[in-house]
Amino acid sequence: MTNDKALILRLQNQDENAFSDVYDYYSDALYGVILRMCKDEEISQNLLQDTFMTIWDKAHSYDFEKGRFYTWAYRIAKNKALNFLRKPDDLIQAEDLSVYENRQEEEKASIDVLKLNGNIKNLEPHHQEAIKLVYYNGLTHREAHEEMDVPLGTFKSYIKQALKILQQSYLKFISFWAILIELTK
Amino acid sequence: MDQVQILNSGILEQYVLGELNMSERQRIESAISQFPELRSALEEIEISFEKLALENAITAPSSVKAHLLENIQQADAKTPVVENSFIKNNYLNIAASAAAILCVACIYLYTQLNSSSSALEMADKQNEELKGDFEDLNEQLVETNKWFSTVNDPDTEKYVLKGNALSPTAVVIGYVNNIKRTVWVNTEQLPQLDDEHDYQMWADVDGAMVDMGVIGKSGNMIALDYKNNATSLNVTIEPAGGNDHPTVSQLVTTIFLR
Repeated sequence: MTNDKALILRLQNQDENAFSDVYDYYSDALYGVILRMCKDEEISQNLLQDTFMTIWDKAHSYDFEKGRFYTWAYRIAKNKALNFLRKPDDLIQAEDLSVYENRQEEEKASIDVLKLNGNIKNLEPHHQEAIKLVYYNGLTHREAHEEMDVPLGTFKSYIKQALKILQQSYLKFISFWAILIELTK
Repeated sequence: MDQVQILNSGILEQYVLGELNMSERQRIESAISQFPELRSALEEIEISFEKLALENAITAPSSVKAHLLENIQQADAKTPVVENSFIKNNYLNIAASAAAILCVACIYLYTQLNSSSSALEMADKQNEELKGDFEDLNEQLVETNKWFSTVNDPDTEKYVLKGNALSPTAVVIGYVNNIKRTVWVNTEQLPQLDDEHDYQMWADVDGAMVDMGVIGKSGNMIALDYKNNATSLNVTIEPAGGNDHPTVSQLVTTIFLR
């Protein structure tokens, strides 16, 4: 994980090597988002490419003051995927959440790679589900709380709690490495 | 919304996820620039999501990156050249278009000039013709007015000279005004003669035939010479151009004056 300001500044100056580094750093994370949303490898690869072309073209409009670079790139990728999913062909499926869910269940079984890994697995199932819906299915809070059939406020607290737990586990992870590094000295 | 409200409302999470509309986004952005506490809370949320994403990364095929690098290098290499040639071509196109437009305009104006000058010439000619016609008509009108006023003059005497056996259909109408000393004849009903002959009118003055003039082949009302003390009017057929003395055998009609 990086928020290397110098790297991003070079990217903003249309430095191709910086672009290459930024791609190496974030492409797999963004591909994970796009593929979980679209569930089609070819389409997702095209959308990933499209996302990075936009990152290259619009890098100058990224503002350090408004958040982390990855957050900015994630929003671009998510919008590309949502635009694709909301095309007329997919409108019926996207609007009918039950169909959406059925499709997900089907594909979840067939594509093992889409399973979530890492610290999210330590969360309680409803926290995992909440995070998955807003982050990997591209639903808004409003859509997701209906999907989970809990009040919006409850849903928001799920997200908050889930993030808190994730954050703590990351902190534990960092302190574990810090201790390990101390020990090896 | 104050800091605590923002922190508790879950709006920062929605901000990170890109769910907010423009005005909500601007409100959050101005709030985080004001309050460092919000700023660090935001960053914690961002880092958590970022970690989540990195832990759940899926390796994209290397072809995507290769394609992207190719794209941006091509765009880089092409852009200035394309722009230059575009600008150059553009200027050339503009110049060529302007030249073509000028050319077309010149040809158009030239043909317009030609056609207007020929139209003007034609109008001039017509004008000339009309002027001639007008002059002719004017002359005719003057002439007509002259005999009309003569004919209508209360002093004018009208004589109808009827053809004899030699020319039974002939009729000549004479208008004689002894006060104004004018003679007009209407020759409308005189039979046409061949080219070698003309009608000629004579006045009988004291027993002698005095030439009053040849009756021309054109025109119906003809003014002839008035003779004093004429006692009769006579019309003979004479060789073309008239005769010094009347050929009496060719007398067509005669009338005695009152």
